[in-house]
Amino acid sequence: MKILKGKGDGKKSFFQLPLIVVALIVIMTIWKPGIFLTPSNFLSILLSICIYGIMMCGTIFPLLNGGIDLSIGSTAALSGCVTILITMAGNYTPAASLLGILAGIGVGALCGAVNGLVSSLFGIPAFIVTLASSNIVLGIAQSISNQRTITCLHSEVINWIGTGKILGIPFPVVFFVLLLVFTWWVLKYTRFGRYAYAAGGNPKATQFSGISTKKIQIATYLISGTTAALAGIVLSCFNRQAVYTQASGYDGDVLVALVVGGVSMAGGEGKITGAIFGLMILGILNNAMVLIGIDAIYQNLVKGLLVIVAVALDVYARNKNSGLKRKTLRSIFSKG
Amino acid sequence: MSENNKRQPLLEMVGIEKSFPGVQVLKGVDFSVYPGEIHSLMGENGAGKSTLIKILTGLYPLDGGEIRINGEKVEIHSRQDAIDAGISVIYQELSLIPTLSVTENIFLAQEKVKGKIMLDRKAMRAKVAEMIETSGFSVSPDDIIETLSVAQQQTVEIMKALLNDAKLIIMDEPTASLNAAESEILFEKIHNLKAQGKSIIYISHRLEEVYAMSDRLTILRNGEVVAVVDKKDIDPVKVVEYMLGRELKSEAKELHEPIPGGAVLKVEKLSTKDLLDGVSFEAYAGQILGLGGLVGSGRTDTLKCIYGLLDYDGGSITLDGKPLPRNSGAAIRAGVGLVPEDRRSEGLVLLSDLTDNIALPNYDLNSKSFVISPKKALAKAKESVEKLLIKPGHTHIPTANLSGGNQQKVVLAKWLQRDLKVLLVDEPTVGIDIGAKAEIYDILRNIAGKGGIVIVASSDTEELLKISDRIVILVNGKVYADLKNENLTENDLILAYSGMKREGAAQ
Repeated sequence: MKILKGKGDGKKSFFQLPLIVVALIVIMTIWKPGIFLTPSNFLSILLSICIYGIMMCGTIFPLLNGGIDLSIGSTAALSGCVTILITMAGNYTPAASLLGILAGIGVGALCGAVNGLVSSLFGIPAFIVTLASSNIVLGIAQSISNQRTITCLHSEVINWIGTGKILGIPFPVVFFVLLLVFTWWVLKYTRFGRYAYAAGGNPKATQFSGISTKKIQIATYLISGTTAALAGIVLSCFNRQAVYTQASGYDGDVLVALVVGGVSMAGGEGKITGAIFGLMILGILNNAMVLIGIDAIYQNLVKGLLVIVAVALDVYARNKNSGLKRKTLRSIFSKG
Repeated sequence: MSENNKRQPLLEMVGIEKSFPGVQVLKGVDFSVYPGEIHSLMGENGAGKSTLIKILTGLYPLDGGEIRINGEKVEIHSRQDAIDAGISVIYQELSLIPTLSVTENIFLAQEKVKGKIMLDRKAMRAKVAEMIETSGFSVSPDDIIETLSVAQQQTVEIMKALLNDAKLIIMDEPTASLNAAESEILFEKIHNLKAQGKSIIYISHRLEEVYAMSDRLTILRNGEVVAVVDKKDIDPVKVVEYMLGRELKSEAKELHEPIPGGAVLKVEKLSTKDLLDGVSFEAYAGQILGLGGLVGSGRTDTLKCIYGLLDYDGGSITLDGKPLPRNSGAAIRAGVGLVPEDRRSEGLVLLSDLTDNIALPNYDLNSKSFVISPKKALAKAKESVEKLLIKPGHTHIPTANLSGGNQQKVVLAKWLQRDLKVLLVDEPTVGIDIGAKAEIYDILRNIAGKGGIVIVASSDTEELLKISDRIVILVNGKVYADLKNENLTENDLILAYSGMKREGAAQ
């Protein structure tokens, strides 16, 4: 039962996250003076998180709905490949690039819609459906790219999307910020946004209010697939190449950012404003570990620990507020 | 009383007392069961039946009195103590593991082992086969629980009890989810157990079963034993009077006539696959129609059909001659609202505040497009807080933190936003204190007074008599009676729920 007595509306975790971000910045500034706290390093952090951020804006929807999307990395790879391949097939003309981008977005939306349809119509847990579709989508990306890196240096449109600037700010960053604002607006000011929260918090009560929770569920995956495609396309444009491995592991990092940012895996709770801080913590940690010179192996280890700590804190806060008994080791191993 | 007096009772509970903060629930209860006896424990909800059973099975400690088995005092502090004393319970909600086999369930947590580690599957299976053989049950030791009917699952529960060498088996509403044929089979098994010398404590709201099966009845009211009746002395009307303890006169009340020219909701020959079997009645604007019946009689299903949440195979539902849509979103737009049975799981998104909850079915009124106005939603919420006196009136705390009465007001507030023609209310006041109850009754009366059709389904007979202008009684998915709430007593309703009538009752 997802009845959580006394749980606030997420404000508490929202106020703590900025503190962690500030603490990380202070520590790193002292640790690596003149290296960490520079405009160029901050821009590089921003660039590194904006691909994850674009994905996060859509993937928050299935999570709020009580589901999960593990196929976003593969979808990003497939969409990137589709966009680049069509651009090349059309001789690098702007028209070909635009067509490629539209096709890439369409493919992502389709992947998401299929995830949603399969999981809602057959009642299969989203975890299984998206894990399976992740493999299928990756397989398609591998086969259309012949498992090779496809390099695309001569398209103006592609190059501008990847490295163009608006008022001195890289386009990917601008796009991410706009998408973030749009997501915040959708969640707060549209019927669909409110239904997504309600259906995640209590699907039965939402149904009793005359709302089709299945439609909401399908839409959340469609959105998640679409933003994964957008992220994949921007990534390919930035790299001026597409390869089926380009976004492998991204799904994990996006989920880390969302969960650390206070989005509940049980659904119905969490805000995009909280998730931004989750993303910033992840971005700064990644950057810091590189600056300090921590080996890549340990970077994954640190990220893994971060998730466990974040989720444990979330569960702890819920149980504390609901008055449930906390599970202690003693209670688990004692008889009865 | 009878030859029982010469025998040693199997179980004696003497002077049992139990208090919860502020209330004394059991006030010196004496209760005894003889070997091979089927003994029914009767009383209204809250009379103390389940508290007594929980004390007997070690779930609650007792404050005073003692329990004796075969004349010897026993201390029962846990379920294990109860099992050791030979007492087993067949719970209302079965406690079997659906994916395991009959044998695995029966031996769960007391598996037979070879050596120290290896499970002795053969021996366990043989033991179960033997029990099935002697008791004549229609299951096989290897059947998987989820493939069995509820009645068969109950026989597995009974075998579990027998394995523990239970001498006393407690059955709490065992027929609530059984159909008539399955119930018959269960009764046969119970008589079988009796023949084997087992004692049964039987609890059921279905009076006809109780009267047919029991050797004796003990009737509780407000935590006291008001009567112990032998089988030959059972008088159905008297027993209900003992249970209710009131002078059974109907209260004079103001009945409301349908508003002339007002809306009419017509339910005709409504049938569903599972339960409803040709339900027909009419409800009129200006009146509150009560829908009575036991659990499983079809009250909730009828409401869900009207609301478009449950599909029906046969019959029709029309409002002023026009068929109501068979989809709840469309039904809402046609002017129908439902306050569901379980407000916590069906009525509210507990994580969300009352603003979001009240707005949820009403975004079509909030704005014409898909962009909504949180400001308007907040204004509506504030209006509801004032109108319905919802406390605390803060619009931004999760509804999980509100009391039951205030939660119910929030659910009602959802529908008060709309131009409502039909309001369906399932169990309006379960778990709500008296003050809030009265307020909720006022709200319902108000809606009817303004020309709405209100249908209230309730398991609380007192409530139905208090607020209804008419009462439709369902028995096993059929309309048993359609009565004007004039000179009706709780006795009439309770008898009617089991398909019985009092001599000279109003029709």
